[in-house]
Formats: sequence, C-alpha cells, structure tokens
Amino acid sequence: MSEIHLTLPLHPDTARSLRAGDILRVSGVAVATAGYPAHLRMAQGVRDGIPPPIDMAGAALFHMGSLSRRDDAGVMRPLYVNPTTSTRFNAFLPGIVRHFGLTVVAGKGGMDEDGVAALQQTGCVYLSMVGGAAALLTEGVTAVEATGWDDLIEQFRLSRLRLDGFGPLTVAIDAHGHSVYHDLTARARARLPAILDQLAKDRGG
Amino acid sequence: MAVTYQAMKDTARTLYERALKRIPENSHHALARAAATERSETGRNTLNFMIASARQAETRGTFVCSDAGFPVYFVKIGTRVRFDGDIKQAITDAFADLVDTIQPPILKFVTNPLTGERSYRGKDMPHVTWDLLSGADHIDITCSPKALGSGRWAALEIFSYPTLEEIERYVLEVSIRAGSQHCPPVVIGVGIGGSFDHAAKLAKLQTLRPFGSTNSEPILAAMEERLTRAVNATGFGPMGTGGDTTALGVHIDYAAGHGFTPVAVCFNCWINRRSRALIHNSGRVDWIE
Repeated sequence: MSEIHLTLPLHPDTARSLRAGDILRVSGVAVATAGYPAHLRMAQGVRDGIPPPIDMAGAALFHMGSLSRRDDAGVMRPLYVNPTTSTRFNAFLPGIVRHFGLTVVAGKGGMDEDGVAALQQTGCVYLSMVGGAAALLTEGVTAVEATGWDDLIEQFRLSRLRLDGFGPLTVAIDAHGHSVYHDLTARARARLPAILDQLAKDRGG
Repeated sequence: MAVTYQAMKDTARTLYERALKRIPENSHHALARAAATERSETGRNTLNFMIASARQAETRGTFVCSDAGFPVYFVKIGTRVRFDGDIKQAITDAFADLVDTIQPPILKFVTNPLTGERSYRGKDMPHVTWDLLSGADHIDITCSPKALGSGRWAALEIFSYPTLEEIERYVLEVSIRAGSQHCPPVVIGVGIGGSFDHAAKLAKLQTLRPFGSTNSEPILAAMEERLTRAVNATGFGPMGTGGDTTALGVHIDYAAGHGFTPVAVCFNCWINRRSRALIHNSGRVDWIE
C-alpha cells in the first residue's frame, strides 16, 4: 500500500477523506505531549475557558514525548521522540477533541468508544505510530518551535513540533466511526471459541 | 581475586545502557522470521520498520525506545564468588551514574505511585531480584528496564486445581484484554503455581528467555507451542493494527504449590529489553547479550 503524504494540520474534509487502514507520512505542525498532567490542564482549561499556551484549534495532537536541545544555529531540535499510549487519556480526549476541533490525534493503542464518537462528530482521525521505533520516528521531527507549561517535566510539556515526512502512521480510527482496535477486539472475541476448540484438539482432548 | 564494587557498578550501568540502545540479536532474528511469514502487508511493513529502527538506534548509539522505564535487575550470585565492596549499593549507584552520564540523557520515568511525581530515584529503586548459583565463581546479571506500555497489561488470578484448559483460556483472555495496547509482537511470560509472589516472578523471568529455547518440561513445551499459535490466531498483529504476529513466543514455567494455583501472565513489548553479563572472580566480564 502506498503512503499518502499530507500536511498538518488537516482540514476536517481531508480528515474525513481518510479511511481506516490508510498509511500516511505527514509534514507540517503538530502539538505534542506525553503527559497526564497536560491533559488534565487541557480539560480544566476547556471547562474554565482558559486557552492552552500553544494554540490547539484544529490541531494535530500527538501523544509523544521528546527531549530537545538547542543546536549551533539556535534551533531547538529533538534528540529523540517517542509515542505513548493514548488510552491513558480516554477520560479527557472526547472533550478535548470536540472543544478544539482537533483533526488528528496520534499515538499508540487507540481511543475508546466515546473517543471514536468524538472523532466522527468533529472530523478527526486517530493515527497509530510504531511504539519503540524512536530512532526512525525522530528523523521526521525537524524542530521544536515552542513549548508551554514548562513547569512540567520535559515530556509532559506541550510542544509545537515541525514535521517533515514523519511516519509511517496508520489510520487506525477514521472519522466515520471505523476503529481498527474495536474491529480487531470484536474479531478476536468472535474467534475465541474456535481458538479454544483448536487448543483442545492440540491437547489431544 | 574478587568481584569488586567498581566492577559491579560499571557492569550494571553498562547493562542498562545496552538494554536501551539495542535489542537482543535473538529478538532481531524472531522479528525477521515473523516478517517473512506475516500475511498482512501493513503488518509486514511495521515489522520491517521496527527492525530498521532498532538497527538505526544501535548504529547511532541512541535509544530504541526512548522511554527508559525504570531499572530492573536479576542477579544470580555464584556460591564461590568473593566480594570486595558493597555490590548491592553498586547497583543503586550504577543507576545514579547512568542518569548523570548517559548520552542522550534519559527523561524522568521513575514514578511515585502515591503522588504521581516523577524523578530519577524512588523507593525500592532499582528493583533487584537476588538468587544463588550453586558452585559458580561468577555473578550472572540481567537488566530488563520496564515501562508502562507493556507493563500495564500483566495480570494474575488464583485458581483452585485448574485444568490445563482453564489455564490456557486465562492466558488467552489476558492477551485479548491487552489487545493492541502492549506494542506487539510481544513475548508472553506465564507462571503457574507456587504462591502469589512466586508465580509472578516465574512469569517475569520467562519473558527473559530467548526465543527458540526449548522448555525442559514436556507438558509446558507443548503448551508453549499451542498457546503461541492460539494468541497469533487472535489477529491483533504488529502494533495491534492487524496481522498474524501478535506474539513472538509464549514462555511458561511452573512451581509446585498447594491446591490453590496462581497463574500469572505478563508481557514484554517487541523491543524485549534485555541485556546480560557474567562477572567472574577474576575480574573478567563476559557480555552475553
């Protein structure tokens, strides 16, 4: 399957044109954090009408931590990035997706049913990164343009990242309510009786 | 000659760095074998990307997964080993030294479960399991840093006189619950019997067994083969986006106990962090992995 190259942030119509299973490379701008406290602050900000320190309207939110240092040219460059598990933030994500009109959430592990509904309503896709592939994923991040909530530890801060050919990313939940995670879990559960029968045969029982 | 504080500290520190910057060759081979047979195109591409990224980390001296986790060591001390210095303190100091000197630096991952505060130190850090090796004149030390991604999905249940069928069903249920979440393809460690704590330790130790090694207990060797096929029949696949390769292996150990039988199931993600060395009385260090 060929990779689709897109520039972030997406227009909601572009997000809606994608289908679960599509493979992407992305350039442009994403807002990243790996932090539970950052999600807590986002959710409190939504409730209290306090904007986050980095604009998130229509943004691509990446569940990804990073460590950066300023290079000789004065540009903040990531020494490494790494995706984190999105399902940790399930409780916060539907409200955040809807309030900011996010067009991409990316990370690993997916989102729950409430999250899938929020993506569908908003015109937003969930993109799966390859966890543990820090060395190659980092090559797709060219700069850390800004950070916010700098009182938090580095991987928990909000960071605005400049991307160039970042990926590959799999569209794991599309904007039409189709979740690869949901489908695979349902299929595994449906297969379970047959799998257990095969185990019984293999045991000779 | 004796195993010195300095040798223990240097080895423990280097083992942590090796575990972060390379994956075991044995895992490389297992991933390559899986990529050759995986029927999902996306799954195949994901496996090849994992292999390439791990090689890139090794070549560039950077992290395979930049979540450094927290330090976990397994230390087996030969009964003929002589000590020169506090080797227990050496492991604690090794982690502090790593934090101060490793490049690129690691982020704060050691988490206080009561406050959520993150640091480079904490109660009971590093986690060390001590054991003895009869007659040996060396220390066998394994480092296996652990993080949330796969650590979160381990489970343990206490059964009473379970059949093999019940045990296998439980392993499958825990695997389906983990689903796409634990950065598959994983290695699954299973501990059966003993006591609550012992079963969990057995399961953890089994995640450290190299792929392709044969279980000396025939009942378990057969169970490992059929459970590996069964878990892969679930279809979660590489990175949980579909495919044949959810587990690279299921490794199982058991212990005699009483009528209650704990069954512990735990996972290591595809990078299968593991490094191992032997420190001899003579001062020689053999790097096994």
